[in-house]
Amino acid sequence: MRLVGAVTLAVCWMAVRAACDGQPAPIATRWAQPASELAGQVADILGPGQAQLTLRNVSKIQASEIPSIRKLLEQDLKSRGVLAGGTESANAIRVTLSENSRERLWVAEVAEGNTTRVTMVHLEPGEAAAIRSTSERVVLRKEKIAGLVSRAGVQGVPVLAAAEINGHFVVMFADRISVFSSAGGNWTESNSFAMSPKLSRDPRGVLLPTADGGLFTAYAPGTQCTGSYSLPLNGATQDSGWTVRCRASDDPWPIYQSADASNAPALKAFYNTARDFFTGVLTPSIGTDLPPFYAAGMIPRAAGGAAVLLAGVDGKVQIVENSVMRAVAGTRDWGSDFAVVRSGCGAGTQVIASSSGEAVSDSLRAFAIPALEALPESNALAMDGTVTAMWTAQDGKSALAVVLNGLGEYEVDRVSASCN
Amino acid sequence: MFRRLAISVALVFGVVGASARTRPHYGGTLHVEVAGDAWERPAGVARRLVYDGLTQLDTNGALRPALAITWEQDNNFHRWQFRVRSGVRFHDGTALTSGTVVSSLTASCNAKCPWDAVKAVGPLVIFTNDSPMPNLPALLASDQFLIALTATADGRASAGAIGTGPFQVTGFNNGVLALAANENCWSGRPFADAVEIRPRRAVRDQWLDLSLGRADVVEVPAEQVRQAQQARLSVISSPPVMLLALQVGDSGTLANVNVRAAIAAAIDRGALYNVIFQKQGDVTASLLPQRISGYSFLFPTERDLNKAHELRGGLAASLLTMSADGDGAIQLAAQRIALNLHEAGFNVQMAPVGAQRSDLALRKFLVPGNDPAATLEGISWEAGEFVPVTEQASFDLYKREQSILNDHRIIPLLDLPLGYAIAAKVRDLHLRGDGSADLAGASLEDAR
Repeated sequence: MRLVGAVTLAVCWMAVRAACDGQPAPIATRWAQPASELAGQVADILGPGQAQLTLRNVSKIQASEIPSIRKLLEQDLKSRGVLAGGTESANAIRVTLSENSRERLWVAEVAEGNTTRVTMVHLEPGEAAAIRSTSERVVLRKEKIAGLVSRAGVQGVPVLAAAEINGHFVVMFADRISVFSSAGGNWTESNSFAMSPKLSRDPRGVLLPTADGGLFTAYAPGTQCTGSYSLPLNGATQDSGWTVRCRASDDPWPIYQSADASNAPALKAFYNTARDFFTGVLTPSIGTDLPPFYAAGMIPRAAGGAAVLLAGVDGKVQIVENSVMRAVAGTRDWGSDFAVVRSGCGAGTQVIASSSGEAVSDSLRAFAIPALEALPESNALAMDGTVTAMWTAQDGKSALAVVLNGLGEYEVDRVSASCN
Repeated sequence: MFRRLAISVALVFGVVGASARTRPHYGGTLHVEVAGDAWERPAGVARRLVYDGLTQLDTNGALRPALAITWEQDNNFHRWQFRVRSGVRFHDGTALTSGTVVSSLTASCNAKCPWDAVKAVGPLVIFTNDSPMPNLPALLASDQFLIALTATADGRASAGAIGTGPFQVTGFNNGVLALAANENCWSGRPFADAVEIRPRRAVRDQWLDLSLGRADVVEVPAEQVRQAQQARLSVISSPPVMLLALQVGDSGTLANVNVRAAIAAAIDRGALYNVIFQKQGDVTASLLPQRISGYSFLFPTERDLNKAHELRGGLAASLLTMSADGDGAIQLAAQRIALNLHEAGFNVQMAPVGAQRSDLALRKFLVPGNDPAATLEGISWEAGEFVPVTEQASFDLYKREQSILNDHRIIPLLDLPLGYAIAAKVRDLHLRGDGSADLAGASLEDAR
């Protein structure tokens, strides 16, 4: 009984810790510096004395935080000889908590008789609220891969695919293939090779490493690149061992990566570079005519063998088994991208599918497809923007997703499925 | 408890019932109707489909490369060089070069350009000026500096509207401007195969066509947003990106700054906002909207008729003429302002449509993006007085804006949104930072 109590206490303590992790700093700490700075500027204008303080909020700061901010301002003014309060005072301090597209802005209008003077301090923009998710049979977790970001601005081009190869991250952007090296847990671009695929509004690509990690093949619209890595000669840096060669190509693309990296991909599909989808023509043929599709994957079946899952251009998800194509129920809210992962939980293999409806940000959810219906096995995992690409990672147990976030940046997230 | 459960159930169904975000389809024709001319500045719908600029604003209002891939300044913003994107071709097959860019830019502003000289050197376009041009990349994203082919490769003047944009002109028949997808567009082929634009269509007729399936994208003027929502149209609208302002001359009676200040004090912005524009947008007395500056509220917007009389100081009321940039609500707003000024002792008469000169001009200025210095500079350029703005800190920008407004040559009145109503089959229609609709990024749900 005592043991149960101790475990409960430990779980509660961990829950409290988890709840605290990722939370913004306490109000007093977070707003202390700007409050002090603004109070100092107001005191410089007004000098010691009394003044009536009014505070209004036209920013996204929570209303519950306003009393604390007011208290901080009053304390800081008082420490500089300005007593806030006296309603009969001729002096007035009107503070507005404002913001613009770049920063928070706290503005003070200081009125002395008929003269009003203005001062302001600026703060960095606010942090995004932490997103929590609960779980069912499978828990999806996302981990942002630090540094793998195509930042807004001149270099802000889409990320099409990425793979961890030989201790590096190889990332295919819409205009280049870059090699990222890890430094202190952060990935930095150490090498880059220009690529000139046919540009499109909805660019896509596939990056396929070989099992030994020495080679990769990258497919982009109208272009195929081969990359190789050899240990650099004496004195050269580790990053200098990469070579990438590209050529114009309309060869079919591999449509899924085998969960077992030692197996070569079994199926390739022809890609329509003008329309950004797979035409439905596979090589080798699987014995039935397929409609045009956006994504495909191989899922193992309980009775043995495997089936091909397709996300069609018409929005329908279908499964091809024994040369027969059938619709999969329960996929009405699926997007066009999915990845097959081998979590070992439940049925063993799950399909992680994107979905959003009309929400600003997409979400991911794991499904099992034991027969002809997709059954949710996890809660929805909210992403920080629109999922623009997703594929099975090399370990077969997780998926990599490219997310276009609210800042206009493309980031790469690793989404792993674990048992609950 | 039951109520909470009901809400939870409603939320769950709301999520389950949502449609999925699938990839966009290619094909189909987008039918667009507008009240004005398709080519008019600053927001003619065809301009951004056919032409590109050296730079552009994205949907978040951030500056992005377009026909220029990089740019850099030196000599303290007196000199800029832009590297032209290689491999780009105009719709007639002519290659885009630094030379064609220079010809287009020179033609766009003739002798009244915001730079002293622009020249082509290899793949570079180089601008030089006596005064610093800190915000030139943002200025070049504006509608005025879109790049058009001015002469063909063999030196003949180009015929028609030829650009590098996602759509090319194929004809103008029966009052419809026809555009076809540019298969080789540098920024990727647009999703729709074609766009048909019917210009000069009354808003009521546009809405009728939308409801009958004859139009896919139509306009919703700010003052009719509420009506459109009541009519259950699917409306998307921009943040307030259009500044409605009164531009005041400085000759005759108006040479006296107190007279101009009296005009500013006499205008009842609240009535314009409440009555004419149906509470859409924001009342403002600042050039930069609150979302860009964060300090717009520091400029008082209230009408002060006593102050107006005091500032006018009993000067004889000479006749002032006023023009208005637009029709419908803008004309009504101009008449209302004339009435306000009459109450302050001014005698105002509306200038005939198309008049070249007037003492007062009610104008619309685009206030796109999110860079305050660039926006302030852009307004000064559009107002005909290019003033470089080098300030970056909010307080410095506030002081700068205050000094511009104290001259009372521009009197800000309202920040207005731009709105559109779209058919259910139109997907992913986003608005750019200037409020224009990015039709090249939109697709049709029934296209296959």
